[in-house]
Amino acid sequence: MSDHKPIVYKNCEDVPAVVMSEASMLWNKTGAWRYIKPKYCDKVPPCNQGCPAGNDVENFVRLAEEKKYKEAWLSIKEENPFPRVCGRVCYYPCETACNRGQFDRAVSINALERFIGDYVSTDTKIERLQNDSGKKVAVVGSGPAGLTTAYHLARLGHGVHVYEADEKPGGVLRYGIPEYRLPKKVLDEEIQDIINLGVTIDCNKKVGETIQWEALLDFDAVFVATGAHKSRNVGIENEEAQGVMPGLGFLKKVAQGKKVHLGPRTVVVGGGNTAIDAARTAMRLGSQVTIHYYRSRNEIPAFKEEVDEAQKEGVHFDMLSEPVRVLVDGDKATGIEMRRTRLGDPDESGRRRPVSVEGSEYSVDATTIIIAIGEDTDLEYLPSEIQEERGRVIVDAFGATSRPGVFAGGDMAIANHNVAYAIGSGKAAAIAIDAYLKGSHVSDIVAQTTIGEYGAMSMSHYIEAGRAHAKNRYTKSVVSYNDINLNYFEEQERSKQTKLELSERHQNFKEVHQGLSEDQIQNDAQRCFHCGVCTMCDTCYIYCPDIAIEHKGDAAWGYDINFDYCKGCGICVHECPRNAMMMEDE
Amino acid sequence: MKKVLMGNHAASWAVKLADVKMIAAYPITPQTQIVEELSEMCGSGELKAKFLKVESEHSAMASCIAASSAGVRAFTATSANGLALMHELLHWASGARLPLVMVNVNRAMAPGWNIWADQSDSLSQRDTGWLQLYVEDNQEVLDTVLQAYYIAEKVNLPVMVCYDAFFLSHTYEAVDIPEKQAVQDWLPPHARENILNTKDPRAFNGLVMPDVYMEMRYKLQQAHEEAVAVVKEAGESFAKAFDRSYSTIETVYCDDAETVLVTSSSTTSPARLVVEALREKGMKIGLMKVRLFRPFPVDDICQVLSGKKKVVVIDRNISFGKGGIFADEIRGAIANDPQAPIIFGYITGLGGRDITPELVEDIVMEAEKNERPERLALWKGLKS
Repeated sequence: MSDHKPIVYKNCEDVPAVVMSEASMLWNKTGAWRYIKPKYCDKVPPCNQGCPAGNDVENFVRLAEEKKYKEAWLSIKEENPFPRVCGRVCYYPCETACNRGQFDRAVSINALERFIGDYVSTDTKIERLQNDSGKKVAVVGSGPAGLTTAYHLARLGHGVHVYEADEKPGGVLRYGIPEYRLPKKVLDEEIQDIINLGVTIDCNKKVGETIQWEALLDFDAVFVATGAHKSRNVGIENEEAQGVMPGLGFLKKVAQGKKVHLGPRTVVVGGGNTAIDAARTAMRLGSQVTIHYYRSRNEIPAFKEEVDEAQKEGVHFDMLSEPVRVLVDGDKATGIEMRRTRLGDPDESGRRRPVSVEGSEYSVDATTIIIAIGEDTDLEYLPSEIQEERGRVIVDAFGATSRPGVFAGGDMAIANHNVAYAIGSGKAAAIAIDAYLKGSHVSDIVAQTTIGEYGAMSMSHYIEAGRAHAKNRYTKSVVSYNDINLNYFEEQERSKQTKLELSERHQNFKEVHQGLSEDQIQNDAQRCFHCGVCTMCDTCYIYCPDIAIEHKGDAAWGYDINFDYCKGCGICVHECPRNAMMMEDE
Repeated sequence: MKKVLMGNHAASWAVKLADVKMIAAYPITPQTQIVEELSEMCGSGELKAKFLKVESEHSAMASCIAASSAGVRAFTATSANGLALMHELLHWASGARLPLVMVNVNRAMAPGWNIWADQSDSLSQRDTGWLQLYVEDNQEVLDTVLQAYYIAEKVNLPVMVCYDAFFLSHTYEAVDIPEKQAVQDWLPPHARENILNTKDPRAFNGLVMPDVYMEMRYKLQQAHEEAVAVVKEAGESFAKAFDRSYSTIETVYCDDAETVLVTSSSTTSPARLVVEALREKGMKIGLMKVRLFRPFPVDDICQVLSGKKKVVVIDRNISFGKGGIFADEIRGAIANDPQAPIIFGYITGLGGRDITPELVEDIVMEAEKNERPERLALWKGLKS
């Protein structure tokens, strides 16, 4: 400012009353002081990382908050063909991950997903994303993994033919999960969305029996997901007696509408979800039910909420008890001899190992004994070139097996046996198959499609990979509770789902969980922190001391930073309630 | 509309009627209900203002300075140690010539912790360049907060409205609440030059060299001197609009009085009863309530007191090492008057102790009995 002329006040009157520069200060580009600068960048909300199915949870919660339920539904459907199924049967790891859980209680994400799915009319069509590629993919098994792969591949323009051994599609969703948790009507309607995309589901076709493996090799790619439905035996005396049945087999018969005679007293052996489902189903059929589990309530692997519901419904629990032999009268089971266990040192899963207490045997009368101690895969139909290990097909993160063009997913290929993981594995395989069919390498896109550290895959990131705005997304930086500026949030009660009265749960399979009302949905959607995702809350705009943050204008999303004046003070980043900004070096 | 309101809520109502756009405050007894009520008014939407929760009184004042610099009406309220924490920023508000309004509910300074009435908190801020008004009842609370904006915006100076803890803050009285429209007609929307303007940004409150600093101080003093007339004009025009008149001082029976009792704030109320009673007994006594403390209305006060025999000042405050502050201010104001009266300065009622009519009468009769005060600071009501 060499042409700067000092101001001289000639007299007292001239002197201003207020200490204020005589001229504009726009010349003073305070941006020159800056050595670090703020940046808008969306990070990964912990719910998104926590969803094995790869749902963009934060996004659908936000759309629900704006009452854009159809858009919210489409957002879920972009990632997962089963919002209504998952909204009922998922054990919501997203809510466990939810940062709000450390503040008051997690957002009711699971119930929100259900509401969104149920709200949108079943007439609403899902569009294909790409035109017919001319490629054909065979999918073996129509459980959650197989149907998810089929759905995404059809949307990506490929012809999909699904082979299903049973008479109806759905796999474990239809034959394993009881009606009171997942009404068949809901399942049928979501499967219809997949069929509407042009997917052929060919039922009563079992590989190795009604169709041969070699026939599948005519397809351009194969995805196998035949689950794990071979119930394990305990290996005790008289286990083959009449009145002893496997848990999954029992559930399937009930699901098929077949008559199952249980008698007045049912014993269920096991503590997994199948055991709980079998117990609650048996109770609904009018039998008295006791669950025997060889560890304590603390180690039980079934979802806690299901265990609690079972107990409320009148299922008895006899913990720390292991089966010794089935008691028989002729070839008919009359009871079971059990033995006490105690907890020993932790095993490799971290749970305390049960130790038999010798001499503590006792007898339990039973008209039916349901064995539900786990299920194994049946891999016999697969050719030997597909490598297996410990009963599972060996696959990479995208489901590729040791044979090129053959992919696998769901319970037969992954360790976590539940619906959300199956859906996630189906989607990962769909991405890999699409890349394989297009001759590209999945390794090139893995960084952009994997959300967080637990392997969740994003279809929308895959579709949008390479588009400009995708660069601003951080797919690995997950927002922690400490990253949230809690000054902007107040405690607010979590919406509670109503459940069917206990008195109404006998002799019927009416759905237990009844969902949330729209008001409750709104309450809970508004509780979302939107971790790491800009909501245009204007906090940065308001706090910028240099007024260097400006609206893009005309309802365009986001803000511009005027770096002529941004001093790099970082107040915007510090104040951002949800950590959707960061400072970076010049 | 008449409502039975505590003094604190009378202040909240005035803020609402004045269409204040930004309120920043930190709670402190006995001020809390003012801002509590305002936060509810903001929460319900009946007052469209930004209510800013802050971490200290220092931040409250800083926020008000920022809001006022941006050209909106701002408000805060505090008491005692909260006010003391604002001290630095009180200078900034006046030096920047911002028309802020603050209510200070007069409370004793700690230690020992004491939440009761005592004027030492605001009087020890007398040199910060703020206008100060001391009011007597809840109606005057409401009316004076409204007038405070009127005055502040005419002279570009911040105004502090002071009233006694509990005697007013927590005591319910019938208060006439003016109509919103009438207030808007009388108090036009705030419009001011020299505000923050993002299109034409200026540097504010920067370095001022010795060659002009003194002139700026002179102008601030000038503004204070002019403010005396503005306070009167505000009181008169308020009277026209709302039928209740106010000025810098109020006098009762002073014309022919030989002795004038001087009070401020709620102490005036028992003093009124005593003066009335003594008049009935034939004593030539008058009462002067000092409402405006800064600027000190020297001319108005001297006009009343010149030629009187005795002036008895009751101070619920103390400047340690000297004495009662109102008494001292009056001595200073009238010192050069050849007809200056003898001034008795009494200190009493500190930390919320009651100033009863009996006590006031006791003070008056003691002063009446003695020709001159024994010393500058006379204490009344000490345990013997």
